This record gives sequence, structure tokens and C-alpha cells, in this order.
Amino acid sequence: MSSDRRLLLFNLLRGAAAIFLALLVATALIFLSSKEPLTALKYLLLGPVISFKSTGMVFNTVSFLTILAAMTPTIFSGLAVCVMFSASQFNLGGEGVIMLGGFVGALLGIYLKLNTGLHQVVCILAAAVVGGLVMLIPALLKVKLGASEMVTSLMMNYIIMFIILHFLNFTFADRSKGATQSFPFEATAKIPEIVSNGTKLTWGLVIALIFVVIIALFMYRTKWGYAIRMVGINQSFAQYSGIQVGMIIVLSQVIGGMLSGIGGSIEMLGRYNTFLWRELPGYGWIGITVAILAKNNPIFVPLAALFIAYLDKGCQLMSINSDVPFEMIDIIQAAIFLFFAAEQFLAKYRQRIVVRNAQRDLALQEAAVSREGKLS
Amino acid sequence: MTNDLLLLIFNADFLFSLIRITAPILFAALGAVIAEKAGVVNIGLEGIMMISALFGVMFAYWTQLWWVGVLGALVVGVLLALMIGFFAFELKTNIILAGIAVNMLGAGGTIFLLSMLTGMKGNTGALVTRELLIPTINIPLIKSIPVLGQVLSGHAVLTYLAFLFVWLMWVLLYKTPLGLNIRAVGENPDAATSIGVSVQKIQYIAIALSGAMAGLGGAFMSMYYSQGWNSGMVAGRGFIALAATAMGRGEPVGTMLSSLLFGLAQALRTKVSGIQGVSSYLVSVIPYLVTIIGLVAYAISIKNKLKKRSPASKGA
Amino acid sequence: MEQENLVVQMKGISKVYPNGIAANRDVNFTLRRGEIHAIMGENGAGKSTLMKILFGLEQPTSGEILVNGEPVVINSPNKAISLGIGMVHQHFMLVPSLTVAENIVLGMAPTKSRVFVDYKKAVEIAEENATRFNLRIDPNAKVVDIPVGMKQKVEILKALVRGAKILILDEPTAVLTTQETSELFKELISLKEQGFTIVFISHKLKEIKQITDRLTIMRNGKSMGVYETASISEEEISRLMVGRDVVLEVIKDKAQPSETVLKVRDLEYTDRWNKKMLDKVSFSVRKGEILGIAGVEGNGQRELVEMLFNLNVPDAGTVYANGKSLIGMPQNIIRDQGVSLVPEDRMTYGIADIASIEENVISDRFGEKRFNRGPLFNMREIHQESETLIVDYRILAKSRKQQVKMLSGGNIQKVVVARELSSQPTLLIADQPTRGIDVGATEFIRNQIVELSRNGSGVLLVSADLNEVIELSDSLIVMYGGKIVAYFEDTDQLDDITMGEYMLGLKHQTEEEIAKVCYE
Repeated sequence: MSSDRRLLLFNLLRGAAAIFLALLVATALIFLSSKEPLTALKYLLLGPVISFKSTGMVFNTVSFLTILAAMTPTIFSGLAVCVMFSASQFNLGGEGVIMLGGFVGALLGIYLKLNTGLHQVVCILAAAVVGGLVMLIPALLKVKLGASEMVTSLMMNYIIMFIILHFLNFTFADRSKGATQSFPFEATAKIPEIVSNGTKLTWGLVIALIFVVIIALFMYRTKWGYAIRMVGINQSFAQYSGIQVGMIIVLSQVIGGMLSGIGGSIEMLGRYNTFLWRELPGYGWIGITVAILAKNNPIFVPLAALFIAYLDKGCQLMSINSDVPFEMIDIIQAAIFLFFAAEQFLAKYRQRIVVRNAQRDLALQEAAVSREGKLS
Repeated sequence: MTNDLLLLIFNADFLFSLIRITAPILFAALGAVIAEKAGVVNIGLEGIMMISALFGVMFAYWTQLWWVGVLGALVVGVLLALMIGFFAFELKTNIILAGIAVNMLGAGGTIFLLSMLTGMKGNTGALVTRELLIPTINIPLIKSIPVLGQVLSGHAVLTYLAFLFVWLMWVLLYKTPLGLNIRAVGENPDAATSIGVSVQKIQYIAIALSGAMAGLGGAFMSMYYSQGWNSGMVAGRGFIALAATAMGRGEPVGTMLSSLLFGLAQALRTKVSGIQGVSSYLVSVIPYLVTIIGLVAYAISIKNKLKKRSPASKGA
Repeated sequence: MEQENLVVQMKGISKVYPNGIAANRDVNFTLRRGEIHAIMGENGAGKSTLMKILFGLEQPTSGEILVNGEPVVINSPNKAISLGIGMVHQHFMLVPSLTVAENIVLGMAPTKSRVFVDYKKAVEIAEENATRFNLRIDPNAKVVDIPVGMKQKVEILKALVRGAKILILDEPTAVLTTQETSELFKELISLKEQGFTIVFISHKLKEIKQITDRLTIMRNGKSMGVYETASISEEEISRLMVGRDVVLEVIKDKAQPSETVLKVRDLEYTDRWNKKMLDKVSFSVRKGEILGIAGVEGNGQRELVEMLFNLNVPDAGTVYANGKSLIGMPQNIIRDQGVSLVPEDRMTYGIADIASIEENVISDRFGEKRFNRGPLFNMREIHQESETLIVDYRILAKSRKQQVKMLSGGNIQKVVVARELSSQPTLLIADQPTRGIDVGATEFIRNQIVELSRNGSGVLLVSADLNEVIELSDSLIVMYGGKIVAYFEDTDQLDDITMGEYMLGLKHQTEEEIAKVCYE
């Protein structure tokens, strides 16, 4: 086996070990806290795809489709984070922009009168534009003034949320309803389900997967994606090479904003009938977990999103069918997060492979040098 | 309406609540100050506050002693901060990501813990009785001064402590050998290494102190401010603290002033939202908006300073 | 008797870095009590590594160390300090916002009531030691505000206060003015008279001759022997140090310079420590020639190159390439003028370390039409480009996808050179192009540079390696103290000794002679 492949395999194994460790933490906590730990574990690990009937275990298609449906928004937020983190921009504003995207999509879905097809496209595009514009703020503040994009984007999450709540309450509320929510969307704006069985699995997932391909191509097959990655790896190198670093930093965050906006609007128009988010939806943070699991590579985003959606569903089922609360998901996520992002986790083994590679390269080189020496 | 506003601001009640509201932000911001001085970013303040707040209530409930609760919150804060340190320094997890992980624990892990420990959902309800709250103190002499007494007397022990810590933090940083080491490590780690000061050890100490501050902030929230723990309680104060620190240039006194500014914005929001015709939501935006404006003002001032300092940066 | 007098013995020291570079090979080194001992050698000869090992910053791969006759393991600076060894680094290890006194007592601050720093006492300690060792400082000044010379004294005091009996000074004069240097020498001699032992790393012949008792010469990681300073000639030192005998001569035909491609006029720059780094620097580079810039490092060469590529902005003066001003221009515009740069600091500017070789060689040209098809990259063209460059520039790698940081130093530099030379520049600025890389890669890169110039490009070569700059350049300027002090139209008749005199500021040409390098 070539050593490069060995390194790749090592990285895969390391990821698996991180996930395994996180699940081990979860298992330990379940055994500590639960009176029925085995039931809890069963639902956490198998529940999402298997129904337990008296006759035995059956694959649960509906539940599986629900999981697929739940991936849609986190694929978008994961992609957004991939692009921004690739440029080393720790913009954490995905939360707010997703909510805003949902809100913009909802408003246009309610008040525009268009044919179906066009209507959705207009809603989504508008959400993308608004999302991109909003992310211009932390990006420009960073590039022009050096203000930390992390802090500004965090603050913006709250600003966006409160402004949306203001308008939802005072301008767009449907007073006929008990709870604060908007009027229902036009049917023409709804993103249709792929199979109408209540799983909420809409064509949004297909759009999300298309975007995975687009963003993967963008990051690895276009000059802009290349520039974003180089700026992320070494800003001095990028500048010296002639890349316009400031513009690229802005571009990465604007694209992150657009993706978040699209994700928010698709989620809103697919899953709901009226706008009723009363707080930040949480997809932005999940997006960070997804991006970290995917090592900032768009291609791995669906897999990571699937994994998180599966865990989420597992935790839901566990909380329904046992005495372990749903919020276990956050603990598992945090643990995965910590170990997955830990560069030195199992680093000893990695070092061994690297050293072996280096030694072999050196031997090769010396051989080549002595060969050249003989020639001259 | 302008009149109403002025009346609202210029009364003792308002100033009293300003101090009360500022205290938790100040605790967390001081936590950010000490971390930053040692060259460490602690973005996990928010999560530490949440978790410490919960443990504060729990410890107080278990022992039926409020001060054990406060102490417990402090210890939990230190442990969480050390965990961030461990992952960041030993396993080389990006420290921002390690902080985010703690924030996740703060958001969901607390609810899980609460349910595990008590079976309660989302808040501690009746666990916190009056006796378990952090007690308030009336300051004998000042109390009887007309307006000043109303503003300064009758705060919780921890409120006074928060402002006392501003001074203590300044003393620690500028008057003790540890402070000297912390500043050296933050500014030039190589300098510290070259004379045998362990950078890692100093950074561990700094982040632990940072966690202690956030822990006290958490205890203040659940054991006084909200009179019990609930899941939406900290509401971004940990993040605001980061901004306050950036605006306060990482100095204890400056950070206190910017924390007061954020406190003012929040106090205004509470007051103004009571007025008919004012949107409580838009008023809620104020502290966050002030944060961004403050950051921008700070960034501009830094930029100007740099320009003055070196003629070379004019084109860059 | 002799044994007793040896405070430090390093026996058979070898050091191989994880990237495979052998910085020290079986080096023996001894220090006598109360001597000033020079370690000499070119950049990359292994001087600093040897001293880092003695100070506990690096661990030797093999070998043993004896201090005062006792075998010791020095695994940290702390250990070295406790053995009475102090080091003054080339880059100051000071905390700018702290005062001089605070810097001196850092890590061992005196306290009152066991809690607070006794600042008064700290100032006393600083002053007391300053007087005792005759090192004048201002204990209450913040380090950020004091001149370089004083910073160095603070560094020396830091070591002395910690009880150092052996002082290692790593190129202490590199950043000093002439007056500061002679002041330092007086102080060092006075320290010697008080019984201190001093190791003095340098490559300045004059200084060594002036103040050292013995010297160890290093070349290519090996010790070339220990000599009594009084009994070895400068020529001998220089021969042992640069080892001209092993360097291959570069074969090149006579330059045929044509029109001017780079015009630099009256560049001035004062750095933030108020040291004048560039003083009215004017010169031209013509197509088809290699103009070398020789000089001891730290005489303005780095700053000059930064100005040419807009990595820094001068206080005054102009830079024109092909008639277009470069000052303040973004790097893509500079590159559009056909200017390319092999940077001195290849890890900071030259490469993106975790990116692949392919991604590194296209960083200046990825936007070109031939590499793009619509919005997408034309991957076939890009692969072809990188494959070609890997072959043409003999980059030893498993594939174009290999991470650059996995390559050896020489191959990393070949990646940089491949990119910068293959863009057909009208002007190549090569800043220390072969520093710290193996012989094979060095020779290859030098030949590539010659070939480029003979194909009609202008080359500005900055090198601290005297042999390189003489062998490679067609004509040559010497920088000293931020000024051009000499211009040699023809390098054929140049020898080290003449060069040395200019480089060390002993001689300078008339303004008229120097002005000849300003072609229109």
C-alpha cells in the first residue's frame, strides 16, 4: 500500500475513532442517567431506520425519508461554513442569515402572485441576494477595518432575529391566529414534496444535492474557489502571488451568506405553511459541525449532514421511548466536534507515517543526487 | 415621549438596574480580558456561563447554602475552561472550535443535565427558594445618602464583587509576578520561553481564571438575576462580553466602561419596552448594535493609531 | 590543567531535523573559562543550531555535553540557565509593552508581601547590575520606546541577572550601528575581564579579529577546526569559512545587456525603530544581465526587495519596471509588468504549505485564459502545466498532488523557482535563492537563473552568499548601512578581500562611480 493512501486511510480511521469516542461518551452518560439504558441505546442507534414491532425488526422507510428531509437545511449551512472556513473566515452568522432567508422567502411566498415554478425561484433567489448582502457587513468590516468577523457576525445573529420578530409581530402577523405567525404562503410558492407521505421530503433536498456539486466544483474547479483556498491556507502567499486577498475574503462570506439564505428559504417554503420561527433555528451551528466533519470539503457535506440528521432523529426517538432527554444530541455533537477538530488526536501514529514517508523520500533523493553527481 | 425617556433614565431605579444588568456582562468580560492578555481566545464564555449557572443552582439546592452554589459554579467554570485549554493546547483543536463545542454543551447539555439530575424540563422552577438566592447588602453609610444610596446600596454580594474584580484584575495583571508573566506570554511567547517561563502553564492559568469569572457570571444569572435557571437565560451575554473586551481594548477598566455601555443598552431596552407604542424587539437590538458600532469605532481608532505610528503602512 | 579550564565541552554533536536536514554533523566544540570565542560560518553552516543545543532549545540527535567537566543533559532553557548559560538571540526576546526593569526580572520578579511585584526593587536590581557590568540602560523606559542598542543591553542583562557565567551572543552586531557596535565590544571585553565566558556568533571578519581569543569555523554542519584568533589570517578564515574549493563555477557567456527593465531612484526608508534602512538607493537593471546585490545581511537588502514588490512602502523615491511605477501597486499588477520574485522567506511568501505542488505552481497564473474554460478550470491544461514544471525543474516528488510541506527544503525552493522563472519574467528578483538547500538543488537553480538572463530577462540577485553573488552576477553593487557603496561593472576580477572591505564599510566608491549603475 502506498504511504499516501496509508495517510488517507489513517485520516478516515481517525475520524471514525473520533465519532466512536463521542458515541462512547454518550453511551456512558446513558448508562449513568437512565433506568433503561439498553432501550435508550437501541432507539438512539437503530431507531432512526428500524421499527421495533412485536413480529421483529422492520426497515422504517418513512423514518428514513424524514431523516433525508432533515438534511436539507444543514447541507446548505454546512456548505456555507465550508466556503467561509476555507478562507479562514470564522464567520458565525449563518444562524441569522438562515432565519432571514426563511423570512424573505416567506414574505415573497405570501405577497407575490406568480406562477408556480417561477414563484419558488424568485423567493429563493431573493433570499440568496439578501443573505449575500447581509454577509457583506462583517466581510467589509473585516477587510476595511480589521474588525473581527466572528464577533460582528455573532452580534448580527441577534440583530437579525429581533428585527424579524419586530416585523413579524407588528407588520406581517396573521391576527386571526392565536400564536404569532405570518399569513400562509401561496400554494404556488411551496416547494413540493417528492413523495407525499408527510415526511416533508421535498425537492429541496435535490436542490441541496445539486448545490453540493456546484460548490464542490466551485471550490476545486474554479479560479475563485482556488483563490479562496489559497487565502485560507496562507494569506501572505496569496497576496504575493497576486491574488486580491480582500476581495476574496469578501467573496467567501458573500457566498456563505447566499448559501445560508437559500437554505433558509427552501426550508421555510418546504417544511412550513406560514412563517413561525420565534427564535434562531440552530441550523447555522449544525452547519459548523457538518463542515468540520466534512473537513471543509463540500463533497463530504451530505454524508456529514446525514450523520447529524440520523443522530438527531435517534435522540428524538430516544427521548420519546426512554427516559433520556433529546438534548443528548448537543453533548454528542460537542464531543465529536472536539475530537474531530483535534489535530493532535492520535497524532503519534500520523507522525510515524509522515516520518516513514520523509525517510523514504530522502533516500530516493540522495540516490537521485548521487546519480546526477556521477553524470556531471 | 422624549420627556418620558429622560425621566426614565435620570432616576435612581434606572441607575440601580443599570449596575445590576451590567454585572454579569462584566464578569464574563473580565474573563475575556484575562484570556486575551495571555493570547488565548475564549469564545466558550457563553457556554461556561450556562453550565455554571445550572450547577450554581444545583449545588445551592443540594447543600441549601447559597455560597456553596456560587463556589460550585466557579469550580465548574474553571473545569470547563481547563477542558477548552486541554483540547486547544494538547490536542491542537482550534481554540475557537473548542469554545463553540462548550457553547453547544451550554445550550443542550444543560437541559440534558437538568433532566438527568432532577427530571425537570428547561428550567429549575421551584428549586430556588428565597434563601438560596445570593443575598443583597445594604451599605450602612451610603444607604442613607438620598439618590446615591438608592443607586449604590442594596445590590447582591456578587454585584459588588464584579466591580471589585475590575480592580483586582488590574492589580493581578499589573502588580503581580503572575500578571507580568501573563502579559509577557500574550505579547511575546518566545520571550517568555527564552527565560524559562512556560507559555502553556501560564495560558492554562489564564484560561482557568477566565473560566472562574464566567462561572461567577453564571451564578449571578441563575442565583440572583433570573432567580432560577432556564434554558434561554444567558442570551448571548458571553458573546457580548467578547465584544465589550475588544472595545475596552482588553484592559480591565476600559472593559468595565464598555460593559456599562452594553448594560445601559440593555437597561434601556427593559425600560423602553414598557412604553406604549415602542417595539420591544427593536429596542432589544440596541445592545447588539451598540456592540458592532463600538467594535467599528475601536477598529477605526486602531487603524488611525497605526497610521500615525509608522509612515510605512500608508499604502498597505 | 587544560581540562579544568574548559567550562563547556560538546563532543560529537549531531542534529538531524525532522525534515531530514542535518544541521550539525559530529561537531566538537570547547570553551575556555574567560575567553571570547567566535563561531564563524556562512548562513546555514549550523552555528545557530549548535548554540541552540547548548541553550536547551534543541536536543542533539547524538553527542554529549559537559559543563564544568560534568556530563549534563540540557533539555530546556531553564536547565541551561541553571547551569549558568545565557543566550542573547538574534531576534530580541523582549516584551515591548513592559519596562526595561520588568523585562529584566521577568519570571523571577522580586515581590513584597509575597504577592505584589516590588517594582522599586526590580528597578534597583536593573540599575545595580547595569552599573556593575557597565551596561547603560533606562530601567523605567518601555522596551517599545528604546533604541536597538539598548535592547541588546537589556538582553545581556537579562542573562547576567540570572547568573549566567557563559554568554552566547547570536550575531549581536547585525542590528547595531557602528557606534553601538564599538560600545558593545567595550562592554564585552569588560565582561571578559570580570571572568565571563562569551560565545560570539558572527560572520564579520573584522569584528572577530578585533575582540575574540579563539574561533571555531563551521561549514555545512561540520566544524572546520578551532584556531587562536591571533595566529590565523583573515584569508585563512575566509577560505575555511566559504570553502571556495567545493563551489562549482557557474559557466556563463558574457552578458549582452540591452534596455533598462528596472529603474530604482532615491529610495528611502526608515523602519519603525527609527533605523534608516534605505538611504537614497538608486540603480537600474537591464535586460540580459544579472545584477547582484552583495552585502552583509541587515544592510537594507531585505527592505529594498520588499519595496520592489510592494510588500512595504518606501518613505520616498520611485520604482519603475518597464516604465510603469510599482510603488503601491497590488501584486497582480506588478506581476503583469513581468516582474517575478523568489522570496527570501519561502515558507511565509513562497508557498501554501498544505496545498499540493500543482496548486503552488499555478498561483500566479491560474486566472489565465488557457487554464480556464468558461467558469471552470481547464484541469487538463493545469495538470499538463504542473507535470511539465515538475519535470523541467526536477522537483523530486511522488506526484503533482503531493503536499508541498512534505518535500525537502531544496525541492520546496524548486517549486518556488519553477513558478517564478517559468512565467517568462522580464525582471526576476531572486532573494537568497539557494539559502539552506542542498548542493544539487543549488547548482540547478543557479543554472536556471543564468539561462533566464541569457534569454533576455533582467535579473536582480540578492545574496548574502559571497561566492554566489560573485559567480552568478555580471555586475554587482554592494550595500552597506542602507546605501550603495560600490558598483562593479564587471565581476570577473573581483575577489573576496576587496568585496569584504566594501561589505564591511571600510571602503566606498565615489558618488560618480556608484552613479554609473543608473542606466536610463
